[in-house]
Amino acid sequence: MDAPAAFRQQLLGVIPSLRRYARSLVFDPHAADDLVQTALERALAHWHQFDQRRDILVWTISIAHNAHIDERRRHARAALVEPSEGFDPDASQGPPGADIGLQLDLVKALGRLSLEQREVLLLVTLEQLSYAECAEALRIPIGTVMSRVSRARIALRALLDGKGAVPPQGTLRRVV
Amino acid sequence: MNTAPDDTLLSAWIDGELPPEQRAEVEAWLREHPEGAARVRAWSADARSLRSAFGPLLDEPVPAALTQAVWRKAPVVLPALAWARWAAALALFVLGAAVGAGLMWRAQAPSGSAVVAASGERASGWVQRAAVAHSVYVPEVRHPVEVKAQEEHLSRWLTRRLDVPVKLFDLREQGFELVGGRLLPDASGPSAQLMYQAIVPAGAASAAAKPERVTVYLRKPDDATPAAFRYEQQGELGLFYWVEGKSANSGPTGYALVGALPRERLLALAEAIYRQEPSRVARP
Repeated sequence: MDAPAAFRQQLLGVIPSLRRYARSLVFDPHAADDLVQTALERALAHWHQFDQRRDILVWTISIAHNAHIDERRRHARAALVEPSEGFDPDASQGPPGADIGLQLDLVKALGRLSLEQREVLLLVTLEQLSYAECAEALRIPIGTVMSRVSRARIALRALLDGKGAVPPQGTLRRVV
Repeated sequence: MNTAPDDTLLSAWIDGELPPEQRAEVEAWLREHPEGAARVRAWSADARSLRSAFGPLLDEPVPAALTQAVWRKAPVVLPALAWARWAAALALFVLGAAVGAGLMWRAQAPSGSAVVAASGERASGWVQRAAVAHSVYVPEVRHPVEVKAQEEHLSRWLTRRLDVPVKLFDLREQGFELVGGRLLPDASGPSAQLMYQAIVPAGAASAAAKPERVTVYLRKPDDATPAAFRYEQQGELGLFYWVEGKSANSGPTGYALVGALPRERLLALAEAIYRQEPSRVARP
Protein backbone atom coordinates (compact mmCIF):
# COMPACT_ATOMS: atom_id res chain seq x y z
CA MET A 1 0.00 0.00 0.00
CA ASP A 2 1.40 3.32 -1.05
CA ALA A 3 0.71 6.55 0.82
CA PRO A 4 -2.34 8.32 -0.63
CA ALA A 5 -1.94 11.70 -2.32
CA ALA A 6 -3.93 13.45 0.43
CA PHE A 7 -1.43 12.27 3.01
CA ARG A 8 1.47 13.48 0.88
CA GLN A 9 -0.19 16.89 0.67
CA GLN A 10 -0.40 17.00 4.45
CA LEU A 11 3.29 16.18 4.66
CA LEU A 12 4.18 18.95 2.22
CA GLY A 13 2.36 21.37 4.48
CA VAL A 14 4.51 20.62 7.51
CA ILE A 15 7.90 20.75 5.79
CA PRO A 16 8.64 24.39 6.71
CA SER A 17 7.93 23.78 10.39
CA LEU A 18 9.82 20.51 10.33
CA ARG A 19 12.84 22.22 8.83
CA ARG A 20 12.75 24.85 11.52
CA TYR A 21 12.47 22.22 14.21
CA ALA A 22 15.32 20.20 12.70
CA ARG A 23 17.44 23.34 12.55
CA SER A 24 16.91 23.82 16.27
CA LEU A 25 18.24 20.30 16.84
CA VAL A 26 21.29 20.25 14.62
CA PHE A 27 21.71 23.88 13.49
CA ASP A 28 23.73 22.98 10.40
CA PRO A 29 21.25 23.62 7.55
CA HIS A 30 22.34 20.66 5.44
CA ALA A 31 22.33 18.21 8.31
CA ALA A 32 18.93 19.58 9.33
CA ASP A 33 17.47 19.03 5.88
CA ASP A 34 18.90 15.52 5.82
CA LEU A 35 17.10 14.89 9.07
CA VAL A 36 13.87 16.27 7.60
CA GLN A 37 14.24 14.02 4.59
CA THR A 38 14.74 10.98 6.79
CA ALA A 39 11.68 11.94 8.80
CA LEU A 40 9.57 12.39 5.64
CA GLU A 41 10.65 9.01 4.31
CA ARG A 42 9.84 7.33 7.58
CA ALA A 43 6.47 9.09 7.71
CA LEU A 44 5.68 7.83 4.20
CA ALA A 45 6.70 4.31 5.06
CA HIS A 46 4.46 4.34 8.12
CA TRP A 47 1.64 6.54 6.82
CA HIS A 48 -0.92 3.89 7.75
CA GLN A 49 0.01 4.32 11.39
CA PHE A 50 -0.97 7.97 11.36
CA ASP A 51 -4.26 8.63 13.09
CA GLN A 52 -5.99 11.40 11.14
CA ARG A 53 -7.48 12.78 14.32
CA ARG A 54 -4.00 13.70 15.44
CA ASP A 55 -1.90 16.68 14.44
CA ILE A 56 0.41 15.72 11.62
CA LEU A 57 3.05 18.21 12.75
CA VAL A 58 3.22 16.62 16.20
CA TRP A 59 3.43 13.19 14.59
CA THR A 60 6.19 14.12 12.16
CA ILE A 61 8.14 15.99 14.84
CA SER A 62 8.02 12.84 16.89
CA ILE A 63 9.47 10.92 13.94
CA ALA A 64 12.18 13.52 13.37
CA HIS A 65 13.00 13.49 17.07
CA ASN A 66 13.48 9.72 17.02
CA ALA A 67 15.48 9.88 13.80
CA HIS A 68 17.77 12.41 15.42
CA ILE A 69 18.24 10.19 18.47
CA ASP A 70 19.08 7.25 16.19
CA GLU A 71 21.59 9.37 14.38
CA ARG A 72 23.24 10.50 17.55
CA ARG A 73 23.50 6.92 18.76
CA ARG A 74 25.20 5.97 15.52
CA HIS A 75 27.63 8.83 15.90
CA ALA A 76 28.22 7.99 19.53
CA ARG A 77 29.18 4.49 18.51
CA ALA A 78 31.43 5.77 15.76
CA ALA A 79 33.20 8.39 17.81
CA LEU A 80 35.38 7.69 20.79
CA VAL A 81 34.26 10.78 22.63
CA GLU A 82 30.62 11.71 22.58
CA PRO A 83 30.38 15.25 21.36
CA SER A 84 28.96 17.91 23.59
CA GLU A 85 25.22 18.15 23.42
CA GLY A 86 25.32 21.88 23.06
CA PHE A 87 26.23 22.77 19.52
CA ASP A 88 29.22 24.89 18.74
CA PRO A 89 27.77 28.20 17.64
CA ASP A 90 31.03 29.38 16.11
CA ALA A 91 31.08 26.47 13.74
CA SER A 92 27.57 26.98 12.43
CA GLN A 93 25.91 29.59 10.33
CA GLY A 94 22.93 29.87 12.60
CA PRO A 95 19.50 30.59 11.25
CA PRO A 96 19.11 33.39 8.72
CA GLY A 97 18.27 36.72 10.23
CA ALA A 98 20.68 36.01 13.04
CA ASP A 99 23.16 38.54 11.76
CA ILE A 100 21.91 41.23 14.06
CA GLY A 101 24.02 41.42 17.19
CA LEU A 102 21.25 40.64 19.61
CA GLN A 103 20.03 37.69 17.63
CA LEU A 104 23.52 36.35 17.23
CA ASP A 105 23.86 36.38 20.99
CA LEU A 106 20.49 34.75 21.29
CA VAL A 107 21.35 31.96 18.88
CA LYS A 108 24.72 31.46 20.55
CA ALA A 109 23.08 31.26 23.93
CA LEU A 110 20.50 28.85 22.58
CA GLY A 111 23.28 26.66 21.30
CA ARG A 112 24.67 26.39 24.77
CA LEU A 113 21.49 24.97 26.21
CA SER A 114 21.28 21.23 26.46
CA LEU A 115 19.58 19.61 23.52
CA GLU A 116 16.66 18.55 25.70
CA GLN A 117 16.04 22.07 26.96
CA ARG A 118 16.49 23.67 23.57
CA GLU A 119 14.10 21.23 21.96
CA VAL A 120 11.18 21.79 24.32
CA LEU A 121 11.70 25.53 24.52
CA LEU A 122 11.59 25.87 20.74
CA LEU A 123 8.65 23.51 20.31
CA VAL A 124 6.65 25.52 22.81
CA THR A 125 7.68 29.00 21.72
CA LEU A 126 8.18 28.58 17.97
CA GLU A 127 5.81 25.79 16.97
CA GLN A 128 3.42 26.81 19.73
CA LEU A 129 2.80 23.23 20.75
CA SER A 130 0.91 22.71 23.96
CA TYR A 131 2.71 20.91 26.77
CA ALA A 132 0.54 17.88 26.06
CA GLU A 133 1.47 17.85 22.35
CA CYS A 134 5.10 18.35 23.25
CA ALA A 135 4.95 15.43 25.65
CA GLU A 136 3.32 13.30 22.96
CA ALA A 137 5.92 14.20 20.33
CA LEU A 138 8.88 13.58 22.61
CA ARG A 139 7.29 10.73 24.57
CA ILE A 140 8.03 12.27 27.94
CA PRO A 141 5.64 13.16 30.77
CA ILE A 142 3.94 16.55 30.71
CA GLY A 143 5.59 17.38 34.03
CA THR A 144 8.97 16.90 32.40
CA VAL A 145 8.02 19.24 29.56
CA MET A 146 6.92 21.81 32.10
CA SER A 147 10.14 21.73 34.12
CA ARG A 148 12.37 21.60 31.04
CA VAL A 149 10.74 24.66 29.51
CA SER A 150 11.14 26.54 32.73
CA ARG A 151 14.77 25.53 33.19
CA ALA A 152 15.49 26.38 29.57
CA ARG A 153 14.06 29.87 30.04
CA ILE A 154 16.13 30.46 33.15
CA ALA A 155 19.31 29.15 31.53
CA LEU A 156 18.79 31.16 28.35
CA ARG A 157 18.19 34.37 30.28
CA ALA A 158 21.25 33.77 32.44
CA LEU A 159 23.37 33.30 29.33
CA LEU A 160 22.01 36.47 27.75
CA ASP A 161 22.67 38.37 30.96
CA GLY A 162 26.29 37.40 30.60
CA LYS A 163 26.14 34.84 33.37
CA GLY A 164 27.54 32.18 31.16
CA ALA A 165 28.56 30.27 34.23
CA VAL A 166 25.25 28.45 34.23
CA PRO A 167 26.38 25.05 33.02
CA PRO A 168 24.23 23.76 30.23
CA GLN A 169 22.88 20.47 31.43
CA GLY A 170 23.99 17.28 29.89
CA THR A 171 27.16 18.53 28.23
CA LEU A 172 30.34 16.61 28.43
CA ARG A 173 32.06 17.30 31.67
CA ARG A 174 35.59 18.37 31.26
CA VAL A 175 38.22 17.55 33.81
CA VAL A 176 40.86 20.25 33.73
CA MET B 1 -1.37 33.34 46.78
CA ASN B 2 0.52 33.10 50.04
CA THR B 3 3.69 31.47 48.83
CA ALA B 4 5.62 32.61 45.78
CA PRO B 5 4.88 30.53 42.70
CA ASP B 6 7.96 28.66 41.57
CA ASP B 7 9.59 29.21 38.20
CA THR B 8 7.90 26.18 36.68
CA LEU B 9 4.52 27.68 37.47
CA LEU B 10 5.49 31.11 36.15
CA SER B 11 6.80 29.54 32.97
CA ALA B 12 3.62 27.52 32.52
CA TRP B 13 1.65 30.72 33.05
CA ILE B 14 3.45 32.33 30.08
CA ASP B 15 2.49 29.37 27.93
CA GLY B 16 -1.14 29.49 29.01
CA GLU B 17 -0.89 26.03 30.51
CA LEU B 18 -2.45 26.72 33.88
CA PRO B 19 -6.04 26.00 34.86
CA PRO B 20 -8.10 29.20 35.40
CA GLU B 21 -7.90 29.19 39.19
CA GLN B 22 -4.15 28.80 39.31
CA ARG B 23 -3.75 31.36 36.58
CA ALA B 24 -5.66 33.91 38.62
CA GLU B 25 -3.47 33.20 41.62
CA VAL B 26 -0.28 33.68 39.64
CA GLU B 27 -1.60 36.90 38.16
CA ALA B 28 -2.49 38.21 41.59
CA TRP B 29 1.00 37.41 42.81
CA LEU B 30 2.63 39.06 39.78
CA ARG B 31 0.69 42.28 40.42
CA GLU B 32 2.17 42.53 43.90
CA HIS B 33 5.69 41.42 43.07
CA PRO B 34 7.31 43.66 40.46
CA GLU B 35 10.61 41.74 40.53
CA GLY B 36 8.78 38.51 39.69
CA ALA B 37 6.83 40.30 36.97
CA ALA B 38 10.12 41.59 35.51
CA ARG B 39 11.48 38.04 35.30
CA VAL B 40 8.39 36.85 33.52
CA ARG B 41 8.54 39.81 31.14
CA ALA B 42 12.17 38.98 30.32
CA TRP B 43 11.25 35.39 29.52
CA SER B 44 8.41 36.53 27.31
CA ALA B 45 10.75 38.92 25.53
CA ASP B 46 13.18 36.07 24.95
CA ALA B 47 10.38 34.03 23.41
CA ARG B 48 9.57 36.91 21.06
CA SER B 49 13.24 37.22 20.10
CA LEU B 50 13.36 33.52 19.36
CA ARG B 51 10.31 33.81 17.15
CA SER B 52 11.76 36.70 15.22
CA ALA B 53 15.12 34.96 14.87
CA PHE B 54 13.66 31.69 13.62
CA GLY B 55 10.50 33.02 11.95
CA PRO B 56 12.15 33.73 8.56
CA LEU B 57 13.05 30.04 8.32
CA LEU B 58 9.41 29.29 7.60
CA ASP B 59 9.46 31.47 4.50
CA GLU B 60 12.55 29.89 3.03
CA PRO B 61 11.81 28.01 -0.18
CA VAL B 62 11.58 24.30 0.46
CA PRO B 63 14.47 22.45 -1.21
CA ALA B 64 13.35 20.37 -4.18
CA ALA B 65 14.90 17.26 -2.64
CA LEU B 66 12.38 17.39 0.20
CA THR B 67 9.38 17.94 -2.05
CA GLN B 68 10.54 15.07 -4.21
CA ALA B 69 10.96 12.87 -1.15
CA VAL B 70 7.28 13.41 -0.40
CA TRP B 71 6.09 12.52 -3.90
CA ARG B 72 8.42 9.62 -4.47
CA LYS B 73 6.63 6.35 -5.04
CA ALA B 74 7.17 4.15 -2.05
CA PRO B 75 10.73 2.92 -2.39
CA VAL B 76 10.30 1.42 1.03
CA VAL B 77 8.20 -1.65 1.60
CA LEU B 78 5.86 -1.38 4.55
CA PRO B 79 7.36 -3.39 7.37
CA ALA B 80 4.15 -5.38 7.81
CA LEU B 81 4.03 -6.15 4.11
CA ALA B 82 7.72 -6.97 4.01
CA TRP B 83 7.14 -9.42 6.80
CA ALA B 84 4.18 -10.98 5.02
CA ARG B 85 6.23 -11.23 1.87
CA TRP B 86 9.06 -12.99 3.64
CA ALA B 87 6.64 -15.27 5.39
CA ALA B 88 4.98 -16.10 2.10
CA ALA B 89 8.31 -16.64 0.38
CA LEU B 90 9.39 -18.84 3.23
CA ALA B 91 6.11 -20.76 3.08
CA LEU B 92 6.61 -21.38 -0.63
CA PHE B 93 10.18 -22.43 0.00
CA VAL B 94 9.19 -24.82 2.75
CA LEU B 95 6.47 -26.21 0.53
CA GLY B 96 8.97 -26.66 -2.23
CA ALA B 97 11.35 -28.41 0.13
CA ALA B 98 8.54 -30.62 1.40
CA VAL B 99 7.58 -31.53 -2.12
CA GLY B 100 11.18 -32.23 -2.96
CA ALA B 101 11.56 -34.39 0.11
CA GLY B 102 8.30 -36.10 -0.69
CA LEU B 103 9.42 -36.87 -4.21
CA MET B 104 12.76 -38.17 -2.98
CA TRP B 105 11.02 -40.35 -0.51
CA ARG B 106 8.56 -41.52 -3.09
CA ALA B 107 11.45 -42.46 -5.33
CA GLN B 108 13.05 -44.49 -2.60
CA ALA B 109 10.10 -45.88 -0.66
CA PRO B 110 8.06 -48.79 -1.85
CA SER B 111 4.92 -47.65 -3.63
CA GLY B 112 1.81 -47.21 -1.55
CA SER B 113 3.37 -45.64 1.52
CA ALA B 114 4.80 -42.67 -0.35
CA VAL B 115 1.66 -40.63 -0.99
CA VAL B 116 1.37 -39.76 2.70
CA ALA B 117 4.22 -37.31 2.50
CA ALA B 118 2.36 -34.80 0.41
CA SER B 119 -1.10 -35.32 1.81
CA GLY B 120 -0.72 -33.29 4.99
CA GLU B 121 -2.48 -30.37 3.37
CA ARG B 122 -6.08 -29.49 3.93
CA ALA B 123 -8.75 -29.93 1.32
CA SER B 124 -8.46 -26.38 0.12
CA GLY B 125 -4.71 -26.13 0.68
CA TRP B 126 -3.95 -25.03 -2.83
CA VAL B 127 -6.70 -22.42 -2.61
CA GLN B 128 -4.95 -20.97 0.43
CA ARG B 129 -1.74 -20.90 -1.49
CA ALA B 130 -3.50 -19.10 -4.30
CA ALA B 131 -4.42 -16.36 -1.81
CA VAL B 132 -0.87 -16.19 -0.49
CA ALA B 133 0.60 -16.00 -3.98
CA HIS B 134 -1.87 -13.24 -4.79
CA SER B 135 -0.79 -11.20 -1.75
CA VAL B 136 2.86 -11.71 -2.56
CA TYR B 137 2.86 -10.63 -6.18
CA VAL B 138 0.02 -8.16 -6.58
CA PRO B 139 1.85 -5.33 -4.75
CA GLU B 140 4.91 -5.79 -6.97
CA VAL B 141 5.59 -2.71 -8.98
CA ARG B 142 8.50 -3.77 -11.13
CA HIS B 143 8.19 -7.53 -11.36
CA PRO B 144 4.56 -8.49 -10.93
CA VAL B 145 4.93 -11.31 -13.42
CA GLU B 146 7.67 -13.60 -14.65
CA VAL B 147 6.62 -13.59 -18.28
CA LYS B 148 4.71 -10.68 -19.76
CA ALA B 149 1.40 -11.12 -21.52
CA GLN B 150 2.84 -10.05 -24.87
CA GLU B 151 5.15 -13.01 -25.03
CA GLU B 152 3.58 -15.73 -27.12
CA HIS B 153 5.15 -18.60 -25.33
CA LEU B 154 3.47 -17.80 -22.00
CA SER B 155 0.54 -20.11 -22.54
CA ARG B 156 2.61 -22.89 -24.06
CA TRP B 157 5.25 -22.68 -21.38
CA LEU B 158 2.76 -22.85 -18.51
CA THR B 159 0.77 -25.62 -20.16
CA ARG B 160 3.89 -27.69 -20.58
CA ARG B 161 5.07 -27.16 -17.03
CA LEU B 162 1.70 -27.67 -15.38
CA ASP B 163 0.53 -30.57 -17.43
CA VAL B 164 -2.89 -28.95 -17.59
CA PRO B 165 -4.04 -26.65 -20.38
CA VAL B 166 -3.35 -23.02 -19.53
CA LYS B 167 -5.39 -20.59 -21.51
CA LEU B 168 -4.83 -16.85 -21.34
CA PHE B 169 -8.36 -15.71 -20.60
CA ASP B 170 -9.58 -12.55 -22.24
CA LEU B 171 -11.19 -10.39 -19.56
CA ARG B 172 -11.12 -7.09 -21.44
CA GLU B 173 -14.87 -7.06 -21.69
CA GLN B 174 -14.91 -7.13 -17.89
CA GLY B 175 -12.40 -4.28 -17.77
CA PHE B 176 -9.24 -6.26 -17.02
CA GLU B 177 -6.22 -6.94 -19.17
CA LEU B 178 -3.59 -9.61 -18.80
CA VAL B 179 -0.29 -8.48 -17.26
CA GLY B 180 1.42 -11.85 -17.57
CA GLY B 181 2.04 -14.99 -15.62
CA ARG B 182 4.44 -16.89 -13.51
CA LEU B 183 5.21 -20.43 -12.52
CA LEU B 184 5.06 -21.20 -8.81
CA PRO B 185 6.19 -24.11 -6.72
CA ASP B 186 3.32 -25.74 -4.89
CA ALA B 187 2.70 -28.98 -3.08
CA SER B 188 2.80 -31.97 -5.45
CA GLY B 189 3.73 -30.01 -8.54
CA PRO B 190 3.88 -26.53 -9.99
CA SER B 191 1.08 -23.99 -10.24
CA ALA B 192 0.61 -21.04 -12.53
CA GLN B 193 -0.49 -17.57 -11.69
CA LEU B 194 -1.98 -15.24 -14.26
CA MET B 195 -2.24 -11.62 -13.29
CA TYR B 196 -4.83 -9.21 -14.65
CA GLN B 197 -5.04 -5.53 -14.04
CA ALA B 198 -7.90 -3.07 -14.41
CA ILE B 199 -7.75 -1.16 -17.67
CA VAL B 200 -7.28 2.50 -16.86
CA PRO B 201 -9.01 4.75 -19.39
CA ALA B 202 -6.51 6.87 -21.30
CA GLY B 203 -6.10 10.26 -19.70
CA ALA B 204 -7.42 9.10 -16.34
CA ALA B 205 -4.09 7.56 -15.48
CA SER B 206 -2.93 8.82 -12.15
CA ALA B 207 0.60 8.22 -10.99
CA ALA B 208 -0.46 7.86 -7.38
CA ALA B 209 -3.32 5.39 -7.81
CA LYS B 210 -2.55 1.73 -8.08
CA PRO B 211 -4.49 -0.33 -10.60
CA GLU B 212 -6.73 -3.04 -9.26
CA ARG B 213 -5.32 -6.48 -9.84
CA VAL B 214 -6.76 -9.96 -9.75
CA THR B 215 -4.94 -13.24 -10.13
CA VAL B 216 -5.98 -16.59 -11.51
CA TYR B 217 -4.23 -19.53 -9.94
CA LEU B 218 -4.31 -22.83 -11.79
CA ARG B 219 -3.04 -26.26 -11.02
CA LYS B 220 -3.92 -29.88 -10.82
CA PRO B 221 -6.35 -29.94 -7.91
CA ASP B 222 -6.04 -32.24 -4.93
CA ASP B 223 -8.53 -35.05 -4.97
CA ALA B 224 -10.27 -33.49 -2.00
CA THR B 225 -11.20 -30.24 -3.75
CA PRO B 226 -14.91 -30.14 -4.45
CA ALA B 227 -15.74 -29.57 -8.09
CA ALA B 228 -18.49 -27.07 -7.30
CA PHE B 229 -18.11 -23.34 -7.67
CA ARG B 230 -17.17 -21.92 -4.25
CA TYR B 231 -16.71 -18.48 -2.81
CA GLU B 232 -14.61 -17.58 0.19
CA GLN B 233 -13.80 -14.24 1.79
CA GLN B 234 -10.46 -13.78 3.50
CA GLY B 235 -10.13 -10.30 4.93
CA GLU B 236 -10.41 -7.97 1.97
CA LEU B 237 -9.63 -10.74 -0.49
CA GLY B 238 -12.40 -12.60 -2.24
CA LEU B 239 -11.76 -16.08 -3.71
CA PHE B 240 -13.77 -17.98 -6.26
CA TYR B 241 -12.52 -21.50 -6.87
CA TRP B 242 -13.69 -24.50 -8.77
CA VAL B 243 -12.45 -27.57 -10.57
CA GLU B 244 -12.93 -28.26 -14.23
CA GLY B 245 -13.52 -31.90 -14.98
CA LYS B 246 -11.48 -34.09 -17.18
CA SER B 247 -11.59 -33.44 -20.86
CA ALA B 248 -10.52 -35.64 -23.72
CA ASN B 249 -6.93 -34.53 -23.61
CA SER B 250 -6.31 -33.47 -20.02
CA GLY B 251 -6.96 -34.19 -16.39
CA PRO B 252 -8.96 -31.93 -14.05
CA THR B 253 -7.78 -28.36 -13.50
CA GLY B 254 -8.28 -26.35 -10.32
CA TYR B 255 -8.96 -22.64 -10.67
CA ALA B 256 -8.82 -19.98 -8.00
CA LEU B 257 -9.64 -16.39 -8.85
CA VAL B 258 -8.37 -14.00 -6.17
CA GLY B 259 -8.97 -10.29 -5.86
CA ALA B 260 -9.80 -7.48 -3.47
CA LEU B 261 -13.00 -6.72 -5.34
CA PRO B 262 -16.67 -6.74 -4.40
CA ARG B 263 -18.14 -10.21 -4.79
CA GLU B 264 -20.30 -9.33 -7.83
CA ARG B 265 -17.37 -7.93 -9.80
CA LEU B 266 -15.28 -10.94 -8.96
CA LEU B 267 -18.13 -13.21 -9.93
CA ALA B 268 -18.40 -11.57 -13.36
CA LEU B 269 -14.72 -12.28 -13.91
CA ALA B 270 -15.06 -15.86 -12.66
CA GLU B 271 -17.94 -16.46 -15.05
CA ALA B 272 -15.97 -15.09 -17.97
CA ILE B 273 -13.12 -17.44 -17.13
CA TYR B 274 -15.53 -20.31 -16.74
CA ARG B 275 -17.02 -19.67 -20.19
CA GLN B 276 -13.59 -19.51 -21.81
CA GLU B 277 -12.24 -22.60 -20.09
CA PRO B 278 -10.46 -24.76 -22.69
CA SER B 279 -12.38 -27.99 -22.16
CA ARG B 280 -15.68 -26.14 -22.50
CA VAL B 281 -14.64 -24.20 -25.58
CA ALA B 282 -13.34 -27.34 -27.23
CA ARG B 283 -16.55 -29.20 -26.59
CA PRO B 284 -18.71 -29.52 -29.70
